[in-house]
Amino acid sequence: MNIRTKERAAVRPAEIVREYGPFAEDGKVHGVTHDGRHVWAATGATLIALDPASGDTVRTLDHACDAGTAFDGRHLYQIAESRIDKIDPATGAVVASIPAPGHGGDSGLTWAEGSLWVGQYRDRRIHQIDPATGAVRRTIESDRFVTGVTWVDGELWHGTWEGDESELRHIDPADGTVLERLAMPQGVGVSGLESDGAGLFYCGGGGSGKVRAVRRPKAPAA
Amino acid sequence: MDSLIAASARALAAGDPLGALKRVALRDDPPALALRGIAMAQLGDYSRARELLRRAARGFGTHEEQSRARCIVAEAEVALAQRDFGGSSRTLLAAAATLEARADRTNAWHARLIAVRRALRLGRLAEAAAGLAALDTGALPPALAAAAEMASAELDLRAMRVTPAVAALDRARVAAERARVPALAAEVTQARSALEHPAARRLGAAGEVALRLDEVGALLSSGDLVVDACHHTLRVGDARVALARRPVLFALARTLAEAWPGDVARHVLIARAFGMRDPDETHRARLRVEVGRLRALAAGMAKVEATAQGFRLVPHDGRAVVVLAPPIDGDQASLVALLSDGAAWSTSALALALGASQRTVQRALADLEAEGRVRSAGRARAQRWLAPPLAGFTTILLLPAALPLE
Repeated sequence: MNIRTKERAAVRPAEIVREYGPFAEDGKVHGVTHDGRHVWAATGATLIALDPASGDTVRTLDHACDAGTAFDGRHLYQIAESRIDKIDPATGAVVASIPAPGHGGDSGLTWAEGSLWVGQYRDRRIHQIDPATGAVRRTIESDRFVTGVTWVDGELWHGTWEGDESELRHIDPADGTVLERLAMPQGVGVSGLESDGAGLFYCGGGGSGKVRAVRRPKAPAA
Repeated sequence: MDSLIAASARALAAGDPLGALKRVALRDDPPALALRGIAMAQLGDYSRARELLRRAARGFGTHEEQSRARCIVAEAEVALAQRDFGGSSRTLLAAAATLEARADRTNAWHARLIAVRRALRLGRLAEAAAGLAALDTGALPPALAAAAEMASAELDLRAMRVTPAVAALDRARVAAERARVPALAAEVTQARSALEHPAARRLGAAGEVALRLDEVGALLSSGDLVVDACHHTLRVGDARVALARRPVLFALARTLAEAWPGDVARHVLIARAFGMRDPDETHRARLRVEVGRLRALAAGMAKVEATAQGFRLVPHDGRAVVVLAPPIDGDQASLVALLSDGAAWSTSALALALGASQRTVQRALADLEAEGRVRSAGRARAQRWLAPPLAGFTTILLLPAALPLE
């Protein structure tokens, strides 16, 4: 599959609309999600919510957050070490915990269609898991290190970051075929990914400690 | 980067290497290997740390160049802590260039500083000075600035520029305090206190006076003609004539200087310079030749005048003459004094300078090495001797900056 998908889609440069942060000195951004109003960013030991219009930090939750973040409409899901914590955003309390499918090799996380989708960074794959038990329902292979994962309008997008190259990719959830590729500028990495359900993607900037808004392309490039 | 790597790095940055190891102990992917290597280095197992870092660098390969370069820098730092100076700095400098190209300035500076400190330990003073000059010390983060100032102080001290050395040490102390690394601060304090010990003796008609390093520096910059029996050099201000490879000429110069402003009889000069008790006409002829050579070499500093019974030293412009000797007498003290210029000496060069046999010098060096007062680098005929560094090897604590992450 890797060979077949390699040259399928042409690369276009990603259009970065806005940058937020960095939020702390030598801070990192591991995961991002969007709860409809605010963008949440996992910065290692604190989850912060920022207002995308003003760029102000509106909430902080002290919680270990080492990789992807997701929101299912009521709860936040956060990868910490080798588990996924389900967090009540109102109180910050951990409601439940399930084992992460990659035993700590996990990177991106999103919620869609009643499942959690987990990016396995160096394994170059995405797992679809049961949010209640953590059982793996399905696995999609990629040919790049997978960072963030997100669903928007039935499209599965994921971030890749390998060496100095980083891209946003739209893939076919059925067989992993790459449909669209948006290349980030040289040296700019994508650590976490979430769409706002409309025209923007929010990307975690890894060691740069920033969150970047990237415009989602209007129609798939034929 | 993935979840456990981030968690492990967080533990490492918080000074918890065991916690970091716990999270990645069973993983063999390159980022995990790198973190395990750094944790092992912080726990003091340098050999294991270097092996892990090398494996991590190999695993990252060419398509994750920045991470690989960081592993190379971390390994070089562990090698420095391990006092292993084998190999060349070429890989390290290539890694520094890679990091610079990717705007990873802190780690690039870190790499260049490791190369400077390595050159310093190997007695390659010119290389160290050039490397240090290329660093913008004002822009460095505190921990690196402290290490850079220490290196600069050491270079100054080796060249007997005491005032700039003290200033550099003071800046190093401020930087170490800002960096909040206790071991670094302790090292600066220790280096500073070394300046308070007697560094040399001044011999003169009035007897001997023990001098601290700053007093030696003041003496050297006073403009007097200093016959430096520590480094076997004649100095007037910044001008110097090295006589380490001319032991006979140095013995003559020192004997003449000790008697200044008086003169020295020929038979005394012959006894001191040639080791001959009952000189005959051939020795006197040889003395004339050697005095002629000394006269030529020292022409810019002093005249050597013949008197009725021998010779005397007459410095230009009415300067005084001072003899500077090692703080205590004996072969060992003379060796340590010679090595204090920071350069790498071969046994034969030391034997030549001291007028002793190589075997005598080797014996004295072996004793000194056992006491930790000299170090050697290389093996067999390539073996070179060095003074122990003024600054120590506090290095491992700077490692988290080289975390091979992202």
